[in-house]
Amino acid sequence: MSSTEYSDPIVSVSQLKVYFELEHYPNRGLREVFISSLTHPIQYFFKTKELFYALNDVSFELSKGTRLGILGVNGSGKTTLCRCLAGMMTAQSGKIETKAEIRAIFDSGTGIMPELTGRENAYLLARLFFPKLKEIDLVVNEAIDFSELGHFIDVPFKQYSKGMQSRLLLSLISSKTTDILILDEVFDGADMFFKTKIAKRMMNFIETAGATIFVSHSIEQIKEVCNKLLVLNQGKVHYFGEIGPGIESYINLKS
Amino acid sequence: MSLNEELIQIRELTLASIKSRYRKTWAGFIWVILNPLLMFGVQSLVFKKFLKLDLPDYFLFLIGGLLPWIFLTTTIQMGTPVFVNLSQLLRSFKINPMVILSSQVLDGFLNFIASFILILLPLYLLSDRSFLSLLLIPIALVPLFLGSLGITITLSILNVFFRDLNFVMGFIFNLLFFLTPVFYPKEFVPHEYQWMINFNPINYLIDPFRSVIYQNDIGIFFIAVLKGMAVAIGFISLSFYTWRRRRNEFYRIL
Repeated sequence: MSSTEYSDPIVSVSQLKVYFELEHYPNRGLREVFISSLTHPIQYFFKTKELFYALNDVSFELSKGTRLGILGVNGSGKTTLCRCLAGMMTAQSGKIETKAEIRAIFDSGTGIMPELTGRENAYLLARLFFPKLKEIDLVVNEAIDFSELGHFIDVPFKQYSKGMQSRLLLSLISSKTTDILILDEVFDGADMFFKTKIAKRMMNFIETAGATIFVSHSIEQIKEVCNKLLVLNQGKVHYFGEIGPGIESYINLKS
Repeated sequence: MSLNEELIQIRELTLASIKSRYRKTWAGFIWVILNPLLMFGVQSLVFKKFLKLDLPDYFLFLIGGLLPWIFLTTTIQMGTPVFVNLSQLLRSFKINPMVILSSQVLDGFLNFIASFILILLPLYLLSDRSFLSLLLIPIALVPLFLGSLGITITLSILNVFFRDLNFVMGFIFNLLFFLTPVFYPKEFVPHEYQWMINFNPINYLIDPFRSVIYQNDIGIFFIAVLKGMAVAIGFISLSFYTWRRRRNEFYRIL
């Protein structure tokens, strides 16, 4: 079993803390700020803020070959954790140590230029994912083949269904191996057949590369894909370890 | 991503957005030129013929201030809602939001240069000034570009938190237009009101451009560029500061 092998961790997270200052009555516009500072000046200037810990002392390590599943109810910090790993958010304390190249997808139903065709969007996305790539034609063509979009590839992207957008994006992000790949609830748009196909492709490249992190609400999917589980609850690590007992503790948590 | 890689991303995004725009409609380009042309036509009519502002080569003076002003305000107006409009894209994978915004500003800048050549060259041909000084224009554009970028980044981050910011900025820029020496020279402003001009940062971003077009004095020009660069660097720093401070909240609220 790969999880018992001793090797240097590919990523190590220690005592990660991320908090937000939440206002009780947040203002969503300058007009509201203007009005509430005039009508309730005292409440406005001395309003109470509450610290909300999205992540509170999260620590774990991943070694090569890990396919980590992350479970947790909404608001438990799953996406915040992934965004920190991807380098989008920064933690107020604690640290993430890794030398790995990390790629992450949080929503697969997105294109950049709706007026341009699927193929043109594919080239643009490839450039954004891999700016210095030399063999760009090769990678894009392979991804297009894999997506099975056929002649739709030369249709403007704005005419794509959510599932078709999702096919193209997932094919591209997985077209080159990377050290760590993070997939945060991205399979919702794609159909069953494509999900299986892309899961296989991921498995293949985990063997050659580092690790994947997989966030999902579907226990079935996690069982199918992952070999390790992290359960988050209110920003804390509730469970980290083997799949079987982890799922049990997640179910107990919910009830 | 290294800076080098981000520059590649900016280039690719800019090219794609130019391609996308002209696929939609070629008339878009006419629109880009029509807007400054009409502004210029109406203002020169009102200020030169109706109000009889007495300045030599008033057309050149006006265009020297008006073109950078239009670029600045259009950039800010188009750029401020970018993060909210592209929120799905920004949330879906890691791409530096600054890369996306820079490509938008660069795209607007290329448009600006196109319209600027079409308007400026005929005016220059009609006057008896030498074309030589026009070679300095690229230098004059640096503070303008960087300053506009800094302001736009800062505002578009804030726009995520205050969704009506663009509306308010439109109003503020309407006021600022009269308090910035665009259609009048700052020498016309009485001494006791000069501070209004001196404290207006927009003024320093526009000045180098006008200096090339209108004044033809290399010493004044370089001082204007230095001041413009100082203001531009100030705005860029402000945008970095805003981003660092708001980064986590940005992704949470977006």
